[in-house]
Amino acid sequence: MTKVGIIANPVSARDIRRIVSHAGNLPINDRANIVLRMMTGLMATGVEEVVIMPENGGIRTQLMRVIDRENRMGHVRFPRVSYLDMPVTCTSEDSAEAARQMHDQGVGAIVVLGGDGTNRVVVSKCGNTPIAGVSTGTNNAFPELREPTITGLAVGLAVTGQVPCEHAFAYNKRLEVRVNDQREIALVDVAVVSERFIGARAIWKTANFRDLFVTFGRPDGIGMSSIVGLLAPLDRQAPEGRRVRLLPLETANLRLTAPIAPGLIEEVGIGAIEKVVPNEVYLPSVSAGSFALDGERELTFSEIDDVSIRLQADAFRTVNVPDCMAYAARHGLHTRAASEALRTAQS
Amino acid sequence: MSNPFPLEKDGLLEAYRRMKTIREFEERLHVDFGRGDIPGFVHLYAGEEAAGVGIMMHLQDHDRIASTHRGHGHCIAKGVDVKGMMAEIYGKATGSCAGKGGSMHIADLSKGMMGANGILGAGAPLVCGAALAAQKLGHDGVGITFFGDGASNQGTVLESMNLAAIWNLPAIFVVENNGYAESTSVDYAVASDSYVDRATGFGMPGITVDGTDFFAVYEAAGEVVKRAREGGGPTLLECKMIRFFGHFEGDAQTYRAPGENEDNRKNRDCLKIFRAKVTEAGVLNDAELDAIDAEVMTLIEDAVAEAKAAPLPTPADLTTDVYVSY
Repeated sequence: MTKVGIIANPVSARDIRRIVSHAGNLPINDRANIVLRMMTGLMATGVEEVVIMPENGGIRTQLMRVIDRENRMGHVRFPRVSYLDMPVTCTSEDSAEAARQMHDQGVGAIVVLGGDGTNRVVVSKCGNTPIAGVSTGTNNAFPELREPTITGLAVGLAVTGQVPCEHAFAYNKRLEVRVNDQREIALVDVAVVSERFIGARAIWKTANFRDLFVTFGRPDGIGMSSIVGLLAPLDRQAPEGRRVRLLPLETANLRLTAPIAPGLIEEVGIGAIEKVVPNEVYLPSVSAGSFALDGERELTFSEIDDVSIRLQADAFRTVNVPDCMAYAARHGLHTRAASEALRTAQS
Repeated sequence: MSNPFPLEKDGLLEAYRRMKTIREFEERLHVDFGRGDIPGFVHLYAGEEAAGVGIMMHLQDHDRIASTHRGHGHCIAKGVDVKGMMAEIYGKATGSCAGKGGSMHIADLSKGMMGANGILGAGAPLVCGAALAAQKLGHDGVGITFFGDGASNQGTVLESMNLAAIWNLPAIFVVENNGYAESTSVDYAVASDSYVDRATGFGMPGITVDGTDFFAVYEAAGEVVKRAREGGGPTLLECKMIRFFGHFEGDAQTYRAPGENEDNRKNRDCLKIFRAKVTEAGVLNDAELDAIDAEVMTLIEDAVAEAKAAPLPTPADLTTDVYVSY
C-alpha cells in the first residue's frame, strides 16, 4: 500500500522578513488544519497511511487532537498516521532528516508545507521521491498557491496510480551552488550578495545585490525571481535558466522596481541579462560575498574559495496537481454510477 | 581579508568580552553555590549568552530592560558592574542593591536595568511603562522585557502585549526559549505552542531566531530595535537557545536526554560558535580572544574575593531603600 509523507515544520516562515517586509505568519493551528484538509483529499483517493515528520511546535498536538475527536464522532476519516522515529532539533535540519527517511521508506510522494526555503531543504534530501508543495512559507515562488484539499486529492491520484506517471509528475530544474567541497541547491533563485556573513539569513538590502540566477521567473511571481519575471520571463518548463547581473543603483543604466519579498517593493540596478545553459559552470561576478538560496543567505565565500553555479535540468519531480485533476475530470475518476453509490451506502 | 561582519573589530571584541564575562560569572556561581557559599537561590544563564549580548549590543543606557529570575546575563550584557553584582549575590552591603536583593532582584537604573524579577511575567508591564515614558518624553529609548515560555502564559505578559500594540509603544518582548519551562512541557502548558502566533494575535510582528548564533541575534535585534526607535511599534522576538545548567542550581535535570548536556557544550556553545566564525574569517585571532579570557578570569576572581571580604548589611539597613523619592 502506498504511503504519503508529510513534512510540516513549525519553524518555517518565522524569520526576520516579518520585520523588514511585513511577511505573513501562519499560526500553528492553521498549519495543522492545512494538514488535515490535505489528508481528507488523500483519504478520498485511497491513501490509507501517512507518515509525518515529528516536531514539538504544536502541529502534532493539534493534529492528533482533531483526528482522535473525529474518529470518535465518526464524521471524517483520515489516513492512519505514524511519525518518523528521529530526534527533533527544532530547525530546518528536521525537514532534511525527514525527507531522507521518507525517501528510504519508499513513500509515494512527500507533501511539504512551507515556502521556497523548506521545499529546497526537502528536495536536497528526497532523491527521486516526488514532492508536492503546499504554500505556507514566506516567499512562495516555488509552491503554487492552492487549496490543500486539492493537493491531497491530486497526490492521492498520483501515488495510487489512478493518474499515469506522464500526467501525474513533472520534472523540474534546480541550481547547484558549490563552495569548495560543499554543495547546496536552490529551486528558484540564487542571489549573490556582497554581505559575507549569514546572520539573520534573509536578504533585503538591495545595495548589496550583485548577481541573480533563476530556474524560472514569472511576471506575477514574488521574491528575487520576480526581477527576471519582470525583465525577461521564463517558464518553469523552459530548458534554460537566466542570469541577471545586479548593480548598485548609482552605476546602473537601467533600474527595475520589483517585489523582492512579500510587502517589499524595491528598485534594483540592472546590468546584463544572460541565458543560463544546463550543466555549464558559471562564476559569481564578485570574488567575495554570500550565496542566498531561494531568498536566504546560506553560504559565504571569499577570494580563496573555489565556487561555481550550475543549472541542472530534470533534477527532481513534483506532483503535477493541475494535470492530475484535469486527467481525473477527463476520465471520470470522481464519478460513479448511482447504483454503485447505493450499494456502497447499503454495505 | 576584509571584515565581513556587521561590527568593527572593537565591537566584536566587546561582544565576546560580555559573553565570556557572563559565562565565567555563571560557571563560578555554579561552583560557589554548590559549596554553600552563597545565600538564597541562583538560576544560571550559561549557554544563553549570545541572545542577551546580541540584543544588548544595540542598546544605550537610556534604553530600559526588565529581566527574569535568570537575570545575571542580562545585567552583565547591559553593563551593570560585575563586582557589584557578585557582592549582591553574596548578600553583601557593597552589592548593587546593598545586599538586600540577591540574585533575583539585581537592578541598576543608571544602566537602564530595571531589575531581575522573581515573579514570572512581571517585567512586561514595567517595560510598557518605560516605553510609554520614552514615547511621551520624545526620546528614542526602547523597553525590552525578557521572559520564558512559562511566563508567556501569565496575564501580565498578554495584557502588556495588548497595551503595547494599541499604544504603538517602543516595547520589545523577547521570549528566551531554552526548551524547558522549568519541568513542564510546552505541549501541556501553552495552548498555541508558538509564541510568534501570540504576537500575531495582537497584531504585532513576531520572529524566531537562532539564539546560539550571536550574529543571527545581532542582525535581527538590530532591525527590531530600529523599528521600535523609529515609531514602528512593538515586536516579539523569540530566541531559541541552550541552557547549560538546570532550571535552578540543584535541579537533577531528569527531563534531559542522556548526553544532552555534553552535546550542548560540545556542539552548541555560542561562545565556541562565535570564536570559530571570527577566527575563520581572519578578523580576530585566538591570542586576542585568549587575552580577553584571561582578563575575564581575573575580573571574576577579584569580584569573588571582594564580595567575600565585604561586610554584610546591618539590621538597621532593613528600613532604608524602601521608598524612592522622584
